[in-house]
Amino acid sequence: MEAGTLGRMDQIPAAAHPGAGAKARTGILKWLLTTDHKLIGVMYLWLAFTFFSIGGVFALFMRAQLAQPGLQILRPDIYNQLMSLHGTFMIFFFTIPVMAGLANYAVPIQVGARDMAFPKVNAVSFWMLVPAGCLMLASLFLQGGSAAAGWTSYPPLADRQYSPGPGVDLWILGLHLAGASSILGAINFIVTIVNLRAPGMSMMKLPMFAWAVLVTQSIIVVATPVLAGALTMALTDRMFGTAFFKPTAGGDPVLWQHLFWFYSHPAVYIMVLPGMGMISQVLPVFASKRLFGYKGMVFATAGIGGVGFLVWGHHMFATGIDERIRVFFSAASMIIAVPTGIKIWSWLATIWGGSIRFRTPMLFGCGFISLFVIGGITGVWLAIVPFDVQVHDTYFVVAHLHYVLFGGSLMSIFAGFYYWFPKISGRMYNEFWGKVHFWLTFVGMNLTFMPMHFAGLYGMPRRIYTYMPKFTIWNEISTVGAAVLGVAMTIFMLNILISLRRGARAPIDPWEHKEFNRTLEWTVTSPPPAENFAEIPVVR
Amino acid sequence: MKTQTLGKLGLAALAALAWTALAAAPAGAWLDNPVTPVAHDVRALFFKAVGITAIFFLTAQALLLVAVLRFRSKPGVKPATFHENVRLEVVWTAVPILALAILAGPTFTSLHYMDTVPKSDLNIEIIGHQWFWEYRYPKYNVTFANEPLVIPAGKIVSADVTSIDVVHSWFMPDFGIKLDANPGRVNHTWFQVEKTGSYVGQCAELCGVLHAEMRITVNVVSDEEFKRWIEQKRKGA
Repeated sequence: MEAGTLGRMDQIPAAAHPGAGAKARTGILKWLLTTDHKLIGVMYLWLAFTFFSIGGVFALFMRAQLAQPGLQILRPDIYNQLMSLHGTFMIFFFTIPVMAGLANYAVPIQVGARDMAFPKVNAVSFWMLVPAGCLMLASLFLQGGSAAAGWTSYPPLADRQYSPGPGVDLWILGLHLAGASSILGAINFIVTIVNLRAPGMSMMKLPMFAWAVLVTQSIIVVATPVLAGALTMALTDRMFGTAFFKPTAGGDPVLWQHLFWFYSHPAVYIMVLPGMGMISQVLPVFASKRLFGYKGMVFATAGIGGVGFLVWGHHMFATGIDERIRVFFSAASMIIAVPTGIKIWSWLATIWGGSIRFRTPMLFGCGFISLFVIGGITGVWLAIVPFDVQVHDTYFVVAHLHYVLFGGSLMSIFAGFYYWFPKISGRMYNEFWGKVHFWLTFVGMNLTFMPMHFAGLYGMPRRIYTYMPKFTIWNEISTVGAAVLGVAMTIFMLNILISLRRGARAPIDPWEHKEFNRTLEWTVTSPPPAENFAEIPVVR
Repeated sequence: MKTQTLGKLGLAALAALAWTALAAAPAGAWLDNPVTPVAHDVRALFFKAVGITAIFFLTAQALLLVAVLRFRSKPGVKPATFHENVRLEVVWTAVPILALAILAGPTFTSLHYMDTVPKSDLNIEIIGHQWFWEYRYPKYNVTFANEPLVIPAGKIVSADVTSIDVVHSWFMPDFGIKLDANPGRVNHTWFQVEKTGSYVGQCAELCGVLHAEMRITVNVVSDEEFKRWIEQKRKGA
C-alpha cells in the first residue's frame, strides 16, 4: 500500500501547538529569520537554481572552447578553473541542495508533520550553504583564480606546490561548509521521517519519495564525514606542512583517491535516489495506476544505498591497485545494476496498462527512464575492468556520468519541480512552454552527450581544453547540443519566473490524484498554510 | 503547436543525430584498430558486453515506447489495477544476475591476462613530468625525454610507469593501455605491438595547465631498425 490516504481528522487543535498564532513576519525578515521548512525549501530552490545557471554558463563556455580544435576562447588555466567549478557547483551547490530543497518542502507534509524535527537546525543548514557557494565563486576573482584541479582535486596537483593560489583552500573550506550543512540536514531528515510521522503512517505506508530521502540522508550521515576528514587532511597538507598525500615526505596521493571516492561514489546515489523517489510519485499520478511493487522499490532503494558503499574502487581501476581488489569492486559494481534494474522494470510496469496524461512532469518522468537506462547500461560496461581501463578518464565517462546525472538526476528534478510547482507557488506554470522545455532538453541532452561516448571510445581524454583534430566531428555535435540546452534552460527559467507572477491560481490538487496515489501535500491548500495542517491527519 | 508535433520534431532531430554520427569517419583506436593482444581482447570483451546488455537496453526502451504510444489516456478507457506480481519480480531480479554472472567470467579472465606482465624481451621506464614524458631503456643505458618512444614490433615490452611530480596517466588507445603514473609508486604494464607504424596517445589524468598538450607518440619499428636506432642513441648519449 503506498501513501495512505487522508482519514478522519485528529483531535489536536492547531492552537495547542507552540508557535501557532505567532505574528507572521513580512518582507525580507520573513525569509531571513524563518524556520518554516517550506520557506527554507523555497530558499534552497532559489540558491540551487542560481548555481545551476552559473554552472550551466560555465559549461556553455567550455563547449564554445571545444567547438573546434585549437580555439582560443578560454585560456588553458581559465578552462581548468571553469571545468573544476562546473563539476563542483553542479554536484554540491545544485543537485544536492535542489534535492534538499524539494525534500524540505515535501517530506514534512508527506509524513504529516508540522515542520522538520529541528526547525532551527534546518535554517542553519541552509544558511551554511550560502557562504560556502560564495567562497568558491569568489575564488574565481582572486590572484591565481579558483581551484583548477577538477572537482576531484587529486593531490599532488591540488597541493600547494602545484596549486599555489588560495583557490584550492577556498574550495576546501567551501566544501567543508557544504558538507557540514548536509550532515546537519541529514540528521534532521532522518529524525523527522522516523519520529514525526502522523498517526497511522507506518513505514510501509511512507510515500516513495520520503523513503528515498530517508535512504539518501542515511548515506550522507555515513559518507560525508569521511569527505570532511579527507578535506581536513588536504588542508593541513597545504597549510601546515603535514604529508598525508605528499609522496616526497612519505605520504600517498592514492590514499586521497580512496577517501574521496568513498564519499563521492555514494554521492552519486545521494544525487539520484531522491530523483528516483520523485519519479515513483509522478508516474502513478499521471498513469492513474498504483506504483508497481512498492515493497520491491523500498528494498531496491535500500539495497542501492548499501551496495553503493562498496563500489568506490571502480573510479580507480587505472591507478594500479591490486588485481584482487579490482575483482571485488568490479563484481560489486555489476551487482548494483540489479536493484537499479528492479526499479526500471517496476516503473515500466507502473505505466503499463495505465491511462497516461502527458503533462510536463510525466514527460520528464518518461524521459528520465529512457535516458537513465542508457546511463545504467554504460555503467555496467564500466564495471568491466579491462573496458573501464580503456575509457577511464575519457569522454566516454563524461558521457556516462551526464546520462546518470543529467538524464537521471536533472530530468527527475524537473519532473518533481513541475509536479510540486503549483503546490509550492500556488500558481500553475505554462504547460505549452513546459513541454517545449522538455523536448528541447531531451533532444539537446542527447545531442550534447551521445557523441561524447564515441569521442571517448576513440580515445579523447576528458578535462582537456583542446584536442586532436580527429575528434572534431563529435565535439561539433556536442557544442550544437549545448546551445540547444542553453535555449531550453532559458525557456524554463522564463516560464517559471513569469508563472510565479502571472500563472493561474493552483487548486488544492491540480493533478486530480486518485484515492490511492494521493499523498498528504495534495490535501492542503496551495501553498499550504503555516504549520501545514490545522489538525494532524490520521492515516488509514 | 501540439505536443505530438513537438514529439515528432524531437524524434526527427534524434534521427538526424544518429545519421551524422554514422556518417562521421571512424577515428581509429583500440575499437577499430587494435594492435596488441590486450587491445584485441578488450575489443572482443566489449562487443560481448554490448551484446548481452543490448537485450536489456532494447527491452526497456521498447516497453517504454509501446507504453507511451498505447496507454495514452482516452475517454472511456479505464486503467488497469494490477500493482504486484511476485513471479515477474523474481524474474527481473534473477535474469540480470544471470547475465552479469555470464559477463563476470570473461571480465576477470581478461583482467588477469592484461594485469600479468609476461617475461619480456625489452624493459622500459616511463616517467611523467609536467608536461612531457621521459623514457628510459635501462638495459641500454639510454634516457631521453620529449621525443617519440621507439619499440620493436612483435616483441613483448614491459614498462614501469611512475611520475616525478603530479599524477599522470600513460594512455595509448591503440595498445589498449592506460596506466596511472603515480609519484612515489611504480606501476607495471606490458604490450606487444603487432604492426609497425607511428601511434599516438596522450596523458589521461588532469595534470595541470597544459594537460591537453601532453601527447604521446610511439614509433613501432622492425627489430633490425630498433637495434640500429638504439645503437645510435647509445653513442649519442
